[in-house]
Order: sequence, then structure tokens, then C-alpha cells
Amino acid sequence: MTGAGIMLMEGDVPHGSLCTTDDVSALIEQLQYELGEGPCVDAYELGRPALEPDLADPVSPRWIAFTRPALAAGVRAIFGFPLRVGFVQLGALNLYRDRPGPLDPDQYADASVMADVAAQAVLLLQAGALPGTLAVELETGADFQYAVHQAAGMVAAQLEVTVGQALIRLRAYAFGNDRPLAGVAKDVVARKLRFNGTDGEEDPRP
Amino acid sequence: MTRETLLARTLVELADTLVADFDVVDLLTRLADSCVDVLDVRAAGLMLAAPDGALRVMASSSEAMRVLELFEVQAQEGPCLDCYRSGQPVIEADLATHASRWPRFVPEALAAGFRSVHALPMRLRGTIIGALNLFHIDPHAMGPADVGAAQALADVATIAILQHRAASEAQLLTEQLNNALNSRIVIEQAKGMVAERLGVNMADAFHRLRHHARNHNERLADIAARVIAGELAASALDVPRTPGSA
Repeated sequence: MTGAGIMLMEGDVPHGSLCTTDDVSALIEQLQYELGEGPCVDAYELGRPALEPDLADPVSPRWIAFTRPALAAGVRAIFGFPLRVGFVQLGALNLYRDRPGPLDPDQYADASVMADVAAQAVLLLQAGALPGTLAVELETGADFQYAVHQAAGMVAAQLEVTVGQALIRLRAYAFGNDRPLAGVAKDVVARKLRFNGTDGEEDPRP
Repeated sequence: MTRETLLARTLVELADTLVADFDVVDLLTRLADSCVDVLDVRAAGLMLAAPDGALRVMASSSEAMRVLELFEVQAQEGPCLDCYRSGQPVIEADLATHASRWPRFVPEALAAGFRSVHALPMRLRGTIIGALNLFHIDPHAMGPADVGAAQALADVATIAILQHRAASEAQLLTEQLNNALNSRIVIEQAKGMVAERLGVNMADAFHRLRHHARNHNERLADIAARVIAGELAASALDVPRTPGSA
């Protein structure tokens, strides 16, 4: 494996990235967070591993929006394993390689065990947290997209809409301008980008 | 149906309990009834330890059995209790001639018509969760095959209960994890909203929210939720005396 990471998810919403081994893994998780598709999303939703041994030439193409940027980052094979304890799902483990090829039986078994151990570890850490708070150990090195949520709060105030609607506007702007959501959020928080008017025109400050 | 077939079927039924709508009392009631069918005992009962370690009567195959087990727990004396405490099988083939073993329990058992008892531990390696009590109306010791079958039934039930507890705990922890993450998200959103409305940076927005929460003895996440919902205006938040304090 070239890299790995763990995403936490709830319902159909990724919470974000718990940890990653390298920038490409971080990108893989960021893409899945923004696009809502990818091997981790599938593994979490289906409750079983989602395996793509050759992202450039898949047997059945899926992840239309995810594939191109992932390939551009050097991902050639990618595998998602659900993080679960019993029938409870927490998220998913993602593993990627910079060359195509399937997991051999040993690697598959190891990955399944890793996912199980990771799930147990996350819950064990959370068990030690103060009630109502996230365990400190889980926050270190994690990226739960706080900038996106801060930006949503700001845009909600700018447009006098709900944060849910603000988030949709942010995503639409990112998609329409072919920019990552995280970058758009950062600009909003840095006050380089504002949303205003009922006709929804954006007004970038010079 | 042969006894072996009945035993095998019972084991499978007991094992098939790793489902979301698992009910412990239901499982143990079926176990008690199965013991009477499969093992040719007169009565069976199960006790499980509560979180504080005290045994509770969970299931009995007959009313007489239930009354007797309740007595055992109340008197804190009897084969089921000894079995739970030691984690080992406790067998008495003839209660009538061994009354001194449990001076208060034995007369009650005899009065209920029971002459012999086998108590088997519900345990998985080092974890003892309770005990299975089996009673006969004749003085006799169960043969090794019967004891083995009884222990197998108890073991399967034990595993099912422990698995379910682990899964329930995992579910609870996951809910706590997600609640914590969601609270955090709401706080970040509120920071953005306050920063925008008051024209301050994120750090000051955070201090404002936290100061207000402390002043009003409320949770930060609750204040944040009210700001997001439009119930609490950013301008209505208490102002810290020195910027960045509170």
C-alpha cells in the first residue's frame, strides 16, 4: 500500500477524516467528503469492502466525479473497508496504491482486521472522553472540515438563510467554479469571498 | 425426534440471536424450557448478574422454580449462588441427606419437590455472567453426556448475551461519538455566524459564545444551536469585559 486513512461517517454524511498517512490519502478523503462518492462512502453504505484494483480502467465505472482527480493525484488502485463493531458502522478505512492490482488474500484479510481494530480503537478512545465531547485523541490530526462549517455559518448570515442552505450554496459555487470546497471555505473565512443578494451573486473582494 | 436432534436444533436456535432486536429474557426463557425438553430435568432456571454483581432471577421453567430461585437470592444461599461465585459446576445428587450444605435453601427445595440439583456456570473464559440451575425430583446425578449438553446450552446463551452487550455498548459509544462531532459542527457554524454578524474574527466569536454560555450556565453546544436556529442573536450575546477573556 502507498497510503491509508480513516474516515468517520454518520448517516449519508461523512464527518471527515480521522487520520491519514500522506497528502494523497488526505485528498482521497477530502474528495469523498466533498463529492459524497468513493470507496469509503460505498464501503460504509453497503457494509462491505469496496474494491477497485484499477481506477484507470475499471471493470464497471463508478465514482464519476471522484475518479479523475484521484487519478490525477496518482491513485491507481483503491480499496475501502467499513469500520464496524458488530452491526454498528462508524466509517471506513481507505487504502490506496500508486500502481494497479488487486489485494491478495493475505492483504485483504489484514485490511479487514485493521478496519476492525481501528473501529474498536475509535470507540475505546471515545469511551474515555468527557460526556458530550469528542475524545482529544480523536481530534489530533483529524480534519472534520471545521472551515467548511464556519464558512456555512458566515454565508448563512450573509444571505439570511439556514446553514443547510448556505452549505448548498457553497458547494454549488465550488462546483460551478471547479474549485475544491475546502478552498472556497478558506476564502470565505479569510473574507476574500462574500455571498450577497437574493439573486445570489457572489462578490469577490479585491 | 431424537434427543440429539432436539439438542442440535436448540443450539442453533440459541446461536441465531445475534440480531438487532435481541431480547435477553426471551433467550433465557427459551433456554430454560429447552433444558426441560432436552435434558429430562424437572425444572430449570437462570440467574444473571446485574452490573453491581448481584444475581437476578431471569427465567424459570415453572412457577415453583421461580419461587425457589427468588428464595435463593433473597437468602443469599444456594447452589446457583455458589456456582456463580466460584465459576465452577455445583452438584448435589441428594439434597435430603446433605441439608447442612445449604441449611435454609434445602428445606425450601425439598418442600417444592426437588431432590437433586445441578448448577452450571454461564461463563466465557474468565467472564462469569450468571448460572443455570437444573432440578430433579429424584435423588440422582446427571450423567456426563447430559451435563455436557447442559453446559453447551449455557455456553451458547452466554456467548449470545456477551456479543449483544458488546454490540449495544458499541452502538451507545457510536451515538456519543456522533453527538460529540455534531455538537462540534454546530459550534463551528455558530462561530461563523457570530463572526460575520459582529465583524469579529473566529477566536473572538468563540470567546463570545463561550462567555455567554458560562454566564448563563448553559452548554456551549446549546448556545451555539440557538444562534444557528435564529433564536439567539449574535448581538444579544453577553460581551466579555476584556476581549478574548472568559
